[in-house]
Amino acid sequence: MAGLELLSDQGYRLDGRKATELRKVQARMGVFAQADGSAYLEQGNTKALAVVYGPHEMRGSRSRALHDRAVINCQYSMATFSTAERKRRPHGDRKSTEMSLHLKQTFEAAVMTQLFPRSQIDIYVKILQSDGGNYSVCVNAATLAVIDAGIPMRDYVCACTVGFVDETPLADLCYAEESGGVSSLALALLPRGGQIALVQMDARLHQDHLETLIEAAMTACKCVSKVLDEVVRQHLQETSVLSR
Amino acid sequence: MKSINGKVLPGDLTHYVVPDAEVVLNYLEVLELVELQGVVFTQTACQALHNKGRRFYNRLRNLLKDPRHDCVLFANEFQEFSYCPREKGESQEKWQTRCVYAAAVWYYNHLAGMMNLVMITEDLDAVSRFSSLNSGVYVISLQEYLQSFWPALQAAQDLYGSVRQALQEKEADGSQREFPEHLPAQVLEAGIKSGRFVQGILNVSKHRAQSEAFVTSDSLSSKSPDLSAGVLVAGSKSRNRAVHGDLVALELLPKVEWRGKVTALSEGPADERSGNDDEIQPMPTGHVVGILQRNWRDYVVTFPPRDAAQAQSRAAQRVLAVPWDRRIPKVRISTQQADALQDHRLVVRIDSWPSTSLYPNGHSVRVLGRAGELETEVQTVLVENCIHVPPFSEAQLREMPVNSPEKPWAADPAEAAARRDLRQTHLVFSIDPRGCEDVDDTLSVQRLAGGKLLELGVHIADVTHFVREGSLTDLEARSRATTYYLADRRYDMLPAVLSADLCSLLGGVDRYAMSVVWELDAQSLAVTKVWFGRTLIRSSYQLHYELAQALLNGEEVQVPELARLDPEERDTKLSELIQALEMLTHIARHLRAQRDRGGALELEGVEVRAQLDQDKNITALVPRQPLEVHETVAECMIYANHWVARKIQEAFPYQALLRRHPQPRQELFSQLVDTARARGFSMDTRTNKALADSLDRAVDPEDPLVNRLLRMMATQAMSQAVYFSTGAQPEDQFYHYGLALDRYTHFTSPIRRYADMVVHRLLTAALQQEHGGQRAAEPGKPPAGNKDMEELAEHINSRNRAAQRAQNLSTGLFQCLFFKERDPETDPRCVADAIIYSIRDNGVLVFIPEYGVKGPVYMRNKEGLVVTAGPDGTCEWQSGSVRRYSDHITTTSGCGSATFRLFDHITVRISVLSTNCHADTLTLQVISNQPHLGATPQRPGSPRRSQLVQEVVRLAGEAQEKAARRPELSKEEREFRQSRTPNLYSLLEEIRELALMDPDAAARAGTVTA
Repeated sequence: MAGLELLSDQGYRLDGRKATELRKVQARMGVFAQADGSAYLEQGNTKALAVVYGPHEMRGSRSRALHDRAVINCQYSMATFSTAERKRRPHGDRKSTEMSLHLKQTFEAAVMTQLFPRSQIDIYVKILQSDGGNYSVCVNAATLAVIDAGIPMRDYVCACTVGFVDETPLADLCYAEESGGVSSLALALLPRGGQIALVQMDARLHQDHLETLIEAAMTACKCVSKVLDEVVRQHLQETSVLSR
Repeated sequence: MKSINGKVLPGDLTHYVVPDAEVVLNYLEVLELVELQGVVFTQTACQALHNKGRRFYNRLRNLLKDPRHDCVLFANEFQEFSYCPREKGESQEKWQTRCVYAAAVWYYNHLAGMMNLVMITEDLDAVSRFSSLNSGVYVISLQEYLQSFWPALQAAQDLYGSVRQALQEKEADGSQREFPEHLPAQVLEAGIKSGRFVQGILNVSKHRAQSEAFVTSDSLSSKSPDLSAGVLVAGSKSRNRAVHGDLVALELLPKVEWRGKVTALSEGPADERSGNDDEIQPMPTGHVVGILQRNWRDYVVTFPPRDAAQAQSRAAQRVLAVPWDRRIPKVRISTQQADALQDHRLVVRIDSWPSTSLYPNGHSVRVLGRAGELETEVQTVLVENCIHVPPFSEAQLREMPVNSPEKPWAADPAEAAARRDLRQTHLVFSIDPRGCEDVDDTLSVQRLAGGKLLELGVHIADVTHFVREGSLTDLEARSRATTYYLADRRYDMLPAVLSADLCSLLGGVDRYAMSVVWELDAQSLAVTKVWFGRTLIRSSYQLHYELAQALLNGEEVQVPELARLDPEERDTKLSELIQALEMLTHIARHLRAQRDRGGALELEGVEVRAQLDQDKNITALVPRQPLEVHETVAECMIYANHWVARKIQEAFPYQALLRRHPQPRQELFSQLVDTARARGFSMDTRTNKALADSLDRAVDPEDPLVNRLLRMMATQAMSQAVYFSTGAQPEDQFYHYGLALDRYTHFTSPIRRYADMVVHRLLTAALQQEHGGQRAAEPGKPPAGNKDMEELAEHINSRNRAAQRAQNLSTGLFQCLFFKERDPETDPRCVADAIIYSIRDNGVLVFIPEYGVKGPVYMRNKEGLVVTAGPDGTCEWQSGSVRRYSDHITTTSGCGSATFRLFDHITVRISVLSTNCHADTLTLQVISNQPHLGATPQRPGSPRRSQLVQEVVRLAGEAQEKAARRPELSKEEREFRQSRTPNLYSLLEEIRELALMDPDAAARAGTVTA
């Protein structure tokens, strides 16, 4: 069989989206009672669960505590059933360690850690179903969870992947696109100020195209932020109604 | 109506047709016919085709993009209401059919029932299931559809029938395996990466099509030097179903199994010899393990006569048809018309080649006619070179401006205002061959600033003003890329209203032009200023070469434009004109000298002069004497081309279309050097200048043909000049070897070359970029990017090669038809003088100057007899032996021995070897080792050839008893209709570029278009 055609002449992608179209984003906050904050987020077929504990006192070795701000501890994992091939994924494999580190960096940029010196915030994210854009879905879910936990942040952190095919940037890649040889870039943005929390890319791309690609990623992130904002407002309304 | 990609289906059709996935998969060819309008392809069908292979899918994509076809794509699976999920247990085919039907229904409702929809499917079950569900949506089979909606379109039905039969054959094929299976694609890819396999294009040997093929590729030579000459694939088993032109993967055999290439002349196509005794020097040998990319095109085949195909009772028969191109294997076709089509030539396509079959399976596409008839043969030449030249469609002609006696065309005042008006200020004139109709270049020259400056202008027809980029005419011109010249006819790139009228810079009428104007210092002739731009001109004189030269020589001649004026006025005008011509000559001499100093120009200089010696023979149009005015005009055109090349390359450093002529590879000159040494000349081939000088010295005072042959070999060794995009080559590769210019392009013949039109557009864009501020209303549209430009350059190059091949083939065809009429034993014209230019194991290669024919002469025939010469030189066949040396070949027999040396003149008899299935070929037989008595060393050969073409045409006309036989006038008409050659400039130029073709072919090119 011939290779996949990622962008047809008519401008459709494999799953029928246009180049700049995102997958459908649905989310719910406060899914667990025992955690300080939690959220569940679906972006197309990628599903993630995020749980936040804290801020609380340092657990384990106290020596890691920082005297002027809180330590953010992230843990990323994938469920055994999350991919097409069922596979046991022990903690601490290279890929998830790297992903945890990325998440940590992202949230250190967004959470106002200086308000909680010598304490710790734990963010646990689990991918329940993986269909591309795992990093960005995790970031988006974790943002909601952090907000649910009531931890102050500078802004939402919204993330999105973009790819580059036939001189056109494609927003929010799905698994088939990611594995189809597209050079993809993941970007986490604080949308209101337009600050970039993290950019990550390990494919080859001509320098001339980088500008357009980042531009497209930022637009996509802003779209995500609108959805997240909606979810948060909806959630607040519901909870306040209940408590009244 | 749904618009996708800017294409909209016309609203005035009776129905739209939605083909099912299966129909698209198997019968795409039928749907490709332009006559079928209003086709809606569904995404479902598209996906199915994509799964079958990228090649098929690309064909559909091109179809959808092509504005000449009325078809659109409907992305039905992305439409919420037309999407059907696949049900459990439903087969894929059923699901696809259901999807397509749902799409058709949705589409019908979407159009609010205003247009009927016809869904065509081969699934009879679906026909009965769906046909009565919706009133406006009809479901029928493809056959029924063609019969009821397109009863007049016989071609579609025939095509359908033959595809269908090929499909049925495929289902019912046998089991015995004849070839090893090809390896899967992943294995091939990995193997190529690891170096286990090599990939390349398979080239089948023309002379030993059954046994020898070579694989060559650019990457081969760079990786391992010992593979640079290519890899031999010996025998059809190791070729493993690869066809000429395919991209294959090879596995090299161990060194002990390597074999050599056969250098003996093969004795006739029927005789296949294993050639084991003649083998020399084993070369890398391999066998095909897989095919990466099929490169099948349409092939012309001939049905064998009836007796070969034994009696069959079944209605459908399988016939092994013989391709016209010997390099292509026989094709198995099943047809019901085998009887009716005996000895006819057909176009076929190959469908598949299963490993169980010795021959590929194919189906017929259309019938060309009976083999041997002129019309059939000419069509064969076109199809074999993939030249597709339908008459211009009505829609294309509608785009053309009108110029008729009732509605004469006039320059638009607004347009005229935007252009620089040269009508009053400049004396513009053209110099072309006598009777030329399409004048694409004119010249002007005058003194400025009280004589301190000279102004030289070259004004080229502004074709791109009339042909907008992307218009139907433009697309057609782009796909043709050039005007095709065959021996007896011409296929224009642009409709006649443009090429012969509105774009032609005729005398005394207003015309749009694209001009290059230089200001030169009157003393040093250095360029002080150059101006490019669009102009409005009126050519004052339409001169021809002889007239211009006569004026220059100060002879008393009549200028037709001045005939009616009173004597006094005539004299002033005449002196004005003569002065301009003299100035022009002066400038051209200087330009030429300047380039000579720049180095290297000697090659073409000589080339041209030598060429002119032949050119004078080409047609009656071209003078007997090479005139200086030819060179003058050519020089101005080269100058214009060069300056335009500089301009567009500066404006668009990465996407300008230029033309380069690469340095020839030194090893290719070895034959030339060896041959020249045999005659005592030494050749220095290191640079173009050195080569030109040594060619100059290599003159045998007794035999001018020696020099001509050496030049022919030199040109053969050179590569062809090609178009390229500047972004695709490093700057040092821009060099034009033949012209010795650092940058060169084609600008001066937009009427007959598409490349020139592209260059015109680039120049326009460059100018707009420059004057961006002034003409803000029309912002310079950036030209196509480097990738597109390179693609376009490739396309034009390949079309030019095809045009060249077609021209040579058609000339060969006419030669054969000419000699076919004559009895070789009695007709004196079949005996000619020939000169030996190469020695082979069992014979020699000769050139016949009189007819411009090259061919082999055998010294040993199939029975093993050899040629011996009697005392008077007459040759006979005797038993004996042949011995080959580096510069001569000796035959020994009972009666003595005979020696044939390089450059010996011998007498040969020309006869035609007729084959039913292939092109006829000329065979040459030596009858004496002395020069032919009647032969003058360099007899005018070419007029002979143009007569030859006319004679053949006349005979063909009579044979068919065509009522519309060409009138007496037709000779002039044929000769003067158009000026491609006539435009001597183009001739010269072609030669210079040269080396482009061998002089012999160039001469033919001349004849042909005269």
